[in-house]
Amino acid sequence: MSNLAVTKRKKPKGNFWVAVPFMLPALVGLGVFVIAPGIRGVILSFANYNVFTGQADFTGFANYIRMFQDVRFLNSFLVTMEYVLINIGIQTVVALFIAVLLHRFTRSHIIKGIVLLPYLISNVIVAMVWYWLMDYNLGLINSILDALSLHKFTFFSEQTAMPSIALINVWRHMGYTSLLIFAGMQAIPKDVYEAAAIDGASEWRIFRSVTLPLLRPVLAFVLVITVTGSFQIFDTIAVTTKGGPVMSTDTFSIWIAREAWGNNDFGYASAISVFLMVLLSVIAFAQTKIMSANQSDLDR
Amino acid sequence: MKTFKKIAALAVAAALPLSVAVAAPAAHAASTTITYGLWDSNQLPGYQKCATDFKKKTGINVKITQAGWDDYWKSVNAGFLSGKGYDVFTSHLAFFPDFVANKQILPLDSFIKKDKVPVNTMYQPGLASLWKAPDGHQYGLPKDFDTIALFVNKKMADAGGYTAADLANLTWNPKTGGTYEKFIAHMTIDKNGVRGDEKGFDKTKVATYGIWMEGSGGGDGQTQWSFLAASDGWKVNDGPWNTNYHYDSPKLAETIKWWQSLSDKGYMPTFAQQNGVGWPDQLAAGKVAIASNGSWMTGYVNGLKNDKFELELAPTPVGPTGKRASMYNGLADNISAATKHPAESWQWVKYLGSAACQDVIAAQAVVFPAIPEATAKAVKAMNAKGIDVSAFYTHIQNKTTFLFPIANKKSQINTIISPVMDGIMSGTKDVSALTDANNQIKALFK
Amino acid sequence: MARNSENTLDDAKFRLSTPTRIFGYTALFILCVISLFPIYWMLRTSLSTTRLLFENPTSLLPSHFTFGGFERVLGMATEKQAIAEGGSGASINFGQAFLNSIIVSTVITVCQVSFSAAAAYAFSVLKWRGRDAVFFIFVVALTVPGIFLLIPNFLFIRDLGLLNTLPGIMLPQVLMSPFAIFFLRQFFLGTNLSIVEAAIIDGANHFKIFWRIVAPLAMPQIVTLGILQFIASWNDYLWPFYVGSGDPSSTVLTVALGVFKAQTPQGSPDWAGLMAGALIAAIPMVLLMIFFGRRIVGSIQASGVK
Repeated sequence: MSNLAVTKRKKPKGNFWVAVPFMLPALVGLGVFVIAPGIRGVILSFANYNVFTGQADFTGFANYIRMFQDVRFLNSFLVTMEYVLINIGIQTVVALFIAVLLHRFTRSHIIKGIVLLPYLISNVIVAMVWYWLMDYNLGLINSILDALSLHKFTFFSEQTAMPSIALINVWRHMGYTSLLIFAGMQAIPKDVYEAAAIDGASEWRIFRSVTLPLLRPVLAFVLVITVTGSFQIFDTIAVTTKGGPVMSTDTFSIWIAREAWGNNDFGYASAISVFLMVLLSVIAFAQTKIMSANQSDLDR
Repeated sequence: MKTFKKIAALAVAAALPLSVAVAAPAAHAASTTITYGLWDSNQLPGYQKCATDFKKKTGINVKITQAGWDDYWKSVNAGFLSGKGYDVFTSHLAFFPDFVANKQILPLDSFIKKDKVPVNTMYQPGLASLWKAPDGHQYGLPKDFDTIALFVNKKMADAGGYTAADLANLTWNPKTGGTYEKFIAHMTIDKNGVRGDEKGFDKTKVATYGIWMEGSGGGDGQTQWSFLAASDGWKVNDGPWNTNYHYDSPKLAETIKWWQSLSDKGYMPTFAQQNGVGWPDQLAAGKVAIASNGSWMTGYVNGLKNDKFELELAPTPVGPTGKRASMYNGLADNISAATKHPAESWQWVKYLGSAACQDVIAAQAVVFPAIPEATAKAVKAMNAKGIDVSAFYTHIQNKTTFLFPIANKKSQINTIISPVMDGIMSGTKDVSALTDANNQIKALFK
Repeated sequence: MARNSENTLDDAKFRLSTPTRIFGYTALFILCVISLFPIYWMLRTSLSTTRLLFENPTSLLPSHFTFGGFERVLGMATEKQAIAEGGSGASINFGQAFLNSIIVSTVITVCQVSFSAAAAYAFSVLKWRGRDAVFFIFVVALTVPGIFLLIPNFLFIRDLGLLNTLPGIMLPQVLMSPFAIFFLRQFFLGTNLSIVEAAIIDGANHFKIFWRIVAPLAMPQIVTLGILQFIASWNDYLWPFYVGSGDPSSTVLTVALGVFKAQTPQGSPDWAGLMAGALIAAIPMVLLMIFFGRRIVGSIQASGVK
C-alpha cells in the first residue's frame, strides 16, 4: 500500500512533539466546534431539553428506549439504507465508468469541466430543477414519454420517491466522484498497461485485471467519504418530498431535523443523532480496516 | 506556497476591518427603532406605508424585514435563540401555542387595559379569541383573516357550460357527491376529449383533471377537505385548545373516503401523481380546472393569467347540513419577550390592529383585514381590481366559518395523523386507520 | 518520473478497436448531454417571465423571453417591474452578498486547507504513538450530523458576540475539515520516504520538509481539494443563514438569493430570478476551474498516489 508501510528503513520513533504544532489548529477546531458541542449533545440525549428555555430534565435512557420502539426508527433505517445502497451503488459504478472514459478517450479539459458542472450548482437548486423535470404532469421527461406514446412514470410515488432522490444525487455527484477516482488512476504507471497490451488483453480485461485492483485503495477512500455523506442526505429531500410520501423518504437527517426544530425535542433528536454517529463510525471503521489490510498489488 | 501564505494573510486582514465595521453600533438620533418581520412580499408595500404613517404620528422608527415563509420562521426561531430577533413579528396560529409554552412572547393584557382597546368587539367575531391562550392572556390583536374558496379556470368553466351562477350553487354530500362532484367530473377531460361524466370516459388517459389534490392536508385539511367535513357537521374537537379529538368520527371518514374516490374515478390526480409542481402552476398550465385554496393566494393566482387560464372564484359547496363551511384563520402580531422596547412595540402592535393601518392594508387589496369596516373596504378594492371575492366573503356574511384548530402539541399530533392521511390518500390505508390515530392523539394528553 | 504529461494511454500501442471507440465516444456524448441538459433548463428558465412560465411548461425555449430574472438578481429591476413579471419584489444587495461570499469562501478555503494539510502531514509522514487513534477521531467527526452541531455552535458564536459578522460565519470551518484531512493524508501516505529521510540527514526540520518537499509534491491534490472545499463553502446555506442573515454586511450570496424562494407555503419560487441567481453564483467556481483546472490532474508523480 504505502511506501511508509512497506519500507524497512528505520524511522524516528515518537515524533509526537514534532507532530503537535502540525496538528494544533486542526485539534483546536475539532475540539471547539465538533467535540465540545458533540459531547454536549450526547449529554442532552439523556434529557428532555427545550432549546428555547434552556431547561433540561434528565430522563436517563428514556429517549433511546423511545427511539428503538418508535415506528419511525425502523422506517428511517430502511429508507436511509435504501437510499445509500442505490445512490452509492449506481454512483460508484457510473463514476468509475466516467473516470475510464476520461482516462482513455479524451484529454479535453472542457469535458472534465462539463462533467463537474452539476456539482457546482447547489444541492437545493438541483433538487428543485429535477423535481420539476420529473413532475408527472408538467415535467419534461413525462411529456417526452407521452409524446412517444409510452406510459408516463410517477417519479415520486411511495415506491419510487427514494430511488428518484437517489438518482438526482447521482447526477450531481457522479462527476465529482469520477474526478477523485481519475486522480487515483493517474498514478497507475504506464508500463503495467504496456505489459497487459503486449499480452494481447482486451479493453475490458485490462480494466478488470489491471485498473480495478490498482484502484482499490482510492476506491476504498472514496467509498468511506461517499457512504458517510450519503447516510446524512438532507437538502434534496427537504426541498422536494420532505419525508413523504407516507414516510418513504423520511431519512435519519430529516427525522432528526424535524424532532429538533419542528417538535422542539432536542434531546430526542440528539439520541437519534448519537445512534447515527455510532452506526457510521462502525461502518467507517470497518471500511478503513479493509483499506489498511489492503496491500497494493503494485509491488514496488 | 509563499503566495498562498500571502493570500491567506491578506484575506484575513481584509475580513477583520469589515467585521469591526459591522460590530460598531450605528448611532441614532433621539427616536427609537423597532424591528418588524413578515413573510408575504405582497403585503410589504402596505406595511411600509403603515410604518411611514406610524412614524409621523409617534416618531418611532419601524424597520421592516421580509423573508419567505421557510426562511422567515427560521429567522424568528434564530432570533429567540440569539436574543436579537424581531421586536414585533407576524405570527401564525400553527406556532402560537409553542411561543406561549416557551414564554417567547409578551402578554398584552396590561397594555390593552391601559389603552382601553375594545379587543372583543372591534374585530370580526371569534378572531380575538384565537389569540387568547389557555392561561387567559391575550397575546395578539387580530390583523387579518382568510377563508377558503374554489379557484376555477374560467376558460374551462365557460367551455363546460358552467356560468358564475351555477358555480355559486354547488351542493355536496358524501354519498353521491352532489352537483359538486358532477361539476368536477364534467371539468375532467380525457385524451380523446371525453368528459368525466360522459360515456366512454377513460380514467387512465386523463388530459385535464377536474380538481387538484395538493397533498393530504394532514390533520387540518385547511384547504383540502375541512370545508367538506364541516359542511357535513364534523368538528375536529370541542373548541379552541380542547383535547377531545374526533378524528374517529364517521362523518370525517365518509368525507375523506369520498374525496379519495375522486382519484379512483380519475377526476383528481393520485397522491403519487400530484407530488411535484404546485397547484397554482398546474392551474396556469391548464392541467387542472379547479383547486380549493385560501384567500391569501388570490392576488398571486390572478396574476398567472395567460392564454389557457383565467381565475374565477366560486364558494365552497353547500353540504348535508344545508350550509356551506370554510375554515377561518386569523393572523396577529406578537411581541417578542426579549424585546428591549416593549412600550414602543405595543404602540406598533396597537397601530397595526387599528383602523388607521387596516384601512391602508385594505386599499392594497391583498388580504382581508380583521376590522369589519376595513374588510368591506378591502372587498371593494379587490372588486375594483377585477377580482370578485364574494366567494370568500360570503362566509363572513352568512357566519358559516369555523375556527382554525388551535391546540397544544400540534407538531406531535401532525406526526401521528399526517402519515395516516397520506396513506389513505395514496390508497394504502383504509379510513378506519383514523380511529387508531385518534386514540394515539388522545393518549398524548393523558 | 514523467512531468506534465497526462496518463491517458493514447500512445500508438494502445490503439482502440473501432467498436470500442464508437462505444466510448457515444458514451462521452451521452454523458455530456445528461450533465448539461438540466443546466440548459436552468438557463432557459432564467430567461423566462416567471408569471407566464407554466403557460408552456415543457417547451425547450424560454417562455416570453426577458432578462428580468437577471435584472432582479443584480438589483437592477424596480419593484413594479419585478411584480409585473411575477417575480419577487424584494430587494437584494447583490454586490455586497457576492463580495461576502468571496471573502468567506476564500478565507475558509485557504486557511482550512493549509491547516488540514499540516494535520495530514502529522498523520502520515510523522510517526508517533496513538497517531492512528487520534486520526480516527477525525474520521468520527465526519459522521456527526450537521444539525446536531448547528444549535450548540450557533449559541457559542452568539456568546462570542460574533453573530451577524463574517468571522462568525467562518470560525467553525476555518481551522480544519475532517474530509480535507482524510483526503490529504491519503495522498501524503504515498510520499516516497527516502526523500524525507535524506532531508532529515541534511539537517532539515519537519516544517521545512512539509513546506518545501511533501506539500509541493501533492500540489495537484491540494489544489483539487481547495477547489472542492471552495465549492462546498460557496454553496453552504444553513449555517450562514443562521449566523449572518440579520445584517447585509454578513449576508452571503446563497442566503441573499433566498428572496427568490417561495414566499408563501403554497407559492412558487420566482423561478427566473432563482435560476438566474444560481447561474450567476456558479460563475466564480467555473472561473476557478478554468484557472486551476490544469493543475488538478496535471503532473502527478508516478510515485504519487497508490
